[in-house]
Amino acid sequence: MENINMLLQGFSVLLTWQNVFVTFLGAILGLIVGAMPGIGSLAGVALLLPLTYSFNPTTAVIMLGSLYYANMFGGAFSAILLNIPGDSPAVMTALDGYPMATVKKRPGQALLVSNFSSFIGGLIGMIILTFTGPALANIGLKFGPSEMTALLLVAMTSIGWLVGENPSKGLLLTLFGILLACMGMDTLTGSPRYDFGNEYLLGGIPFTPFVIGMVGFSQVMILMDERLVKAKEVTEKLTIRGSLLTKHDLKRLLPPALRSGVLGTFMGVLPGAGATAASFMGYAVQKSFKSEEPLGSGAVEGIASCEAANNGAAAGSFAPLLALGIPGSGTGAVLLGGLMLWGLNPGPLLFTNEPDFAWGLIASLFLANVVALMCAWGVIPLLIKILSVPTRLIIPCITVICIVGSYSTSNSMYGVLVMLISGVLGYVMHKFRYPAAPVLLAFVLAPMLESNMRKSFIISRGSLDIFFDSPLSLAFMTIFIVILLFPAARAVFGSFARTKMETAK
Amino acid sequence: MENAAAKTKGFGLNQAIPLATAAMAGVFLWLGLSQYGFWHDSKGPMSGFFPIVISSALLLVSIATFFQSFSEKRPTLPFLNWLPAFGVVLTLGATLLLGMVPSLALYVVLWLRLFEKYDWKTTLITTAVIMAIVIGCFVIWLGVPFPQGLIYEAITE
Amino acid sequence: MKKILAIAAIASLISAPLSAGASDFTPKKDIEWVVTSSPGGGSDIYTRFISDAMTKANLANGKTFLVTNKTDGGGEVGRLNVSRTAAGTRADHTLLTFNSGDLMPMVKNTSNRLANFTPIAIMAEDKQLLFIGESAKYKTFDEVIKAVKSGAKVVIAGSKGDDVATYEKLIKELKFTEDQLAFIVNDSTSAAITSILGGHVDLVMSKPAAADQYVVAGKLTPVLALSSTRFTGNLRDAPRLSEVGSYQDVEFPVWRGVVGPKTMSPEAAAFWAKSLKTVAESEAWQKDYIGKFKLIPSFLDQQAAKAFMTKFEQDYLKSIGK
Repeated sequence: MENINMLLQGFSVLLTWQNVFVTFLGAILGLIVGAMPGIGSLAGVALLLPLTYSFNPTTAVIMLGSLYYANMFGGAFSAILLNIPGDSPAVMTALDGYPMATVKKRPGQALLVSNFSSFIGGLIGMIILTFTGPALANIGLKFGPSEMTALLLVAMTSIGWLVGENPSKGLLLTLFGILLACMGMDTLTGSPRYDFGNEYLLGGIPFTPFVIGMVGFSQVMILMDERLVKAKEVTEKLTIRGSLLTKHDLKRLLPPALRSGVLGTFMGVLPGAGATAASFMGYAVQKSFKSEEPLGSGAVEGIASCEAANNGAAAGSFAPLLALGIPGSGTGAVLLGGLMLWGLNPGPLLFTNEPDFAWGLIASLFLANVVALMCAWGVIPLLIKILSVPTRLIIPCITVICIVGSYSTSNSMYGVLVMLISGVLGYVMHKFRYPAAPVLLAFVLAPMLESNMRKSFIISRGSLDIFFDSPLSLAFMTIFIVILLFPAARAVFGSFARTKMETAK
Repeated sequence: MENAAAKTKGFGLNQAIPLATAAMAGVFLWLGLSQYGFWHDSKGPMSGFFPIVISSALLLVSIATFFQSFSEKRPTLPFLNWLPAFGVVLTLGATLLLGMVPSLALYVVLWLRLFEKYDWKTTLITTAVIMAIVIGCFVIWLGVPFPQGLIYEAITE
Repeated sequence: MKKILAIAAIASLISAPLSAGASDFTPKKDIEWVVTSSPGGGSDIYTRFISDAMTKANLANGKTFLVTNKTDGGGEVGRLNVSRTAAGTRADHTLLTFNSGDLMPMVKNTSNRLANFTPIAIMAEDKQLLFIGESAKYKTFDEVIKAVKSGAKVVIAGSKGDDVATYEKLIKELKFTEDQLAFIVNDSTSAAITSILGGHVDLVMSKPAAADQYVVAGKLTPVLALSSTRFTGNLRDAPRLSEVGSYQDVEFPVWRGVVGPKTMSPEAAAFWAKSLKTVAESEAWQKDYIGKFKLIPSFLDQQAAKAFMTKFEQDYLKSIGK
C-alpha cells in the first residue's frame, strides 16, 4: 500500500543521527515533564519551542512531537508512586495505579503495566494513523455540535459506572463538579458567569491545580494518619526481578489496552476531546467489561485501560493536526504555531507538499514510542526507590511539589490557592467517603457538553430536530436513550418477572 | 485508627457536605434565574439554562443525601491531618516576604526538624534533593517566574 | 477607519518633535513583558518575536526581556496587575501586549479602562473575511443575503473577541437580526474552521492567516471581504459589502499593540516607542512576521496609538451601551 511506502520513506528521513538524537532527547524531556505535576506537555512544548529555532524544521518538530508523546508515559509515574497525577490524563491512572503500588505492594508491576499499555495504545494509534491518515481526520470532522452532544450524553452516563457503592453521593458530586465548571467566562455570550465580582473567577477554576489539590494534596493530608505505620513497612520486593510482569499480568492487560487504544485514537480525533477525556472514557468503558479485581483497588485492567487510551489519543490527535491543520488541544496549537513560524503550513496540502516532513514526523512517533518505553523501563528501578523513602520524609517533599506545580500552571498564587482549597475539600470528601472521580470527570466533560448543546440549538434555532438529523447523532442519541431506559426497563421487568413467578407458584 | 467512640447519631459534621452543596445549589439557582436567563426563542439555552437545571437537581439530591447522612457513622478529622494545610498557608505567607523558593526550603527544613524531629543530616539532604528538583526543573529549565518576595524587591528597586 | 488613521497620522507628526528629545531613558534592569494568553498562541508569538528582535538589535541595553504569561481570569488579572504597577523603575520596565481583542472583554467585564495604561505603539492590524466550505449551500454572499431574506437559517462560525464585534457590525448594516443570521462563538478560529470543514455551518469568519492554507487547498473560498479595500493574493476575488449590494463596507479594526502602566514615565514610554518603531521598520519584521501571518503593516507610535485606542474604546463602550 502506498501509505506503507510513504512511511518507510519517512523512516529514511528520520534515521539521521541528528533526528534520532532529538527523538531520544525529546522522549526523555517528555518523561520528566510528564512526571512533574503541574507541568503538562503544553508548558514543556511551549518553552522548548524557542530552543528549536536553531534546528531545521523537521528536526525541531520531531523533537517536540516526541516530547508531547512521551509526556503521556511520564504522567503515570507520579500518579502511581505518589497518587499525584503528573498531568490531567494521568488522573485515572492514579485510581488503580496507586493502590496497586502501595496496597498490593507491586509498584514495579504497576509501572510496567502502565508503560506497556501506553506503548500498545500509542502503537495502535499510530498504525491507524498510518493507514487512514486524512480519512481519520475526516471522520473527526463529521462530528459537529449535535453529534458531539449526543456522544457526550452517552459519555456522561458512563459516570454512573464510576460512582461506586453509594449512588446518591456520586451523583451529588457529579452535579457539584458540573456547577464548578460553569464558573467563569461563558464563551457563547462573552459574559462572565458566577464570578462573584472576582477577577480571578472570571477565568473559572483552573483544572490542573484543582486536580493536584483534590487528588494529590488531599493524599498528603490523608498520609499524615498513616505515616508512622507506613514507616515500619519495609517494602521488600523492590528489585527489578521482583518487578517483572507475570504472564498472567500480560494476559490481563492486553484486552483493555487494545480496546482503549482504539477508543483513545478515536477520541483524539474528535474536536475538543483530548487525552484527558480519552483516559476517562477508557477507564469508564472498562467498567462494563470484566476485570479480575474490582476497578479502583489496584487492578491491572484499570491502569491498562486509561494509559492506552491517553497515548492513543496523543497519536490520534496528530491526524487532524497534520491532515487538516487543526490542533486538537492546546499543545497541538503550540506545535501549529511553531510549524507556521518555520514556514511549514500544516493543512490539507501538507501531505502532498511536504511528504518528507509529514511522514518523517509520523515515523518519529513510532520511534518515540519505542524510545519512551525503553527509557521508562530503565528508570523504573530508580523510581521504585522513591517508594522506599519513609513517608515522613516524603510528605513535605510532595507538599512542595504540589505548591510549585500548581503555581506553574498560570504563574500565579491563584493556582496554589485553588490547590489548597480543593485539597482540603478532597480530604474531607475522602473522610466522609465521597468519591472524587465523578467530580473530575464531570468537570472535564460538562463544559464540552454544554457548549456543544447550545451551539446545536443556535444552528437549529431552538429545535430538537438537529439531534436526530444526521446518522451519527441519531445513532448516539438512540444509544443514550436506551441506556437511560435500561435500568428503568430492568426494574420494570424485574418486578414483572417476580409477579409472574408468584402467580405461577 | 478510627476513634471507636465517635458519635453515631445526632446533627453534626456528617450533614455538612449535603448542606454545603444544597446551599451552593441554592445560590447558583438564584443567580441563574435572576441574571443569566433560561431559554431564548431562537438561540435556545442561555447562560443560565445548564446551571439552573443542574443546580435544581443538586438541590434535590442534596436533600436526599442529607437525610441519608443521619444514618452514617461520623468519621474523625484528626488535627494531625490538617498540619500540611497549615504548612502550606504559612509557606505562602512567608513567600510574600522571602519569595517562594526560599520559603519552600524553609518549610521543608522546619517541618523535618521541628515536627518530625529528624537529625540535621537527614533534614539537609532531603531539603537539598527536593530543592534541586524544584530549582533544576522549574526555575532553570522551565523558567517559571516565582514570586521574589518583598525583601528582594526592596533590595533591587 | 481611514479617518481615524488620518487623525492619528497628523497627531503623530505633531508630537514627533515633542517626544524626540525626551529619550533619556535606558533600561537598567530586566524588563517584564506580560502576555495575557497562553504560550504558543498568537499574542505570545507576537510578543516573543518583538522581544527577540529587540534583543538581537540590542535595543534594550543588554537587559533581558522576561516574557510572562499571565492567564488568570481570562487575562484580566494580568492586565489589572500591570495597570496597578507603582511608579518608579518597576513601571518603566513593565510592558504589556495589548490588542483590540483584549480591550473589549476588559471594558465589558471589568472596570479597568485604557486610561490606566500608557499606550506605546500599535504594531499591526488585521481584518476578517467570510468564507464558505466545499459543500456550501450558498456560493456567493449575494445568495446568502437572498436566502436569509427568504427565511432560511444561515449560520456563521467565528471565534470569540474581535469576530463577534465584526459580526454585530455586519448584521447592523444588513439590517438582519441575530436570529436571521446567527453567529456561533468558538474558543478559537481553528475550532470554527473545523465546524465548516465538516459542513455543520454555512460560513466562517476568519482572518487571512488562519484561513490561508485552506484557501490554497480549495477547502475554503472567500465570499466577502470585511474591509474597505479588497484583499490581495488568493483572497482578491472576495467582494466588499458595497460591491454586493447597496450597503456600506463593513470592517472592524483589529489591532495589535503594546502598552505600559499608567505610571510609566514619559521618557521610558518614548524610549520603548522608538525601539518598537525600529522593529516595525525592520525587514525581518516585514518578512518574517507581517508577511508570514498576513497582517497589515501599520505602525502607530505613542500619541497616534493613544488617539486610536481611545477612540476605539469610546466607540466600543457606546456600542455596548456603557
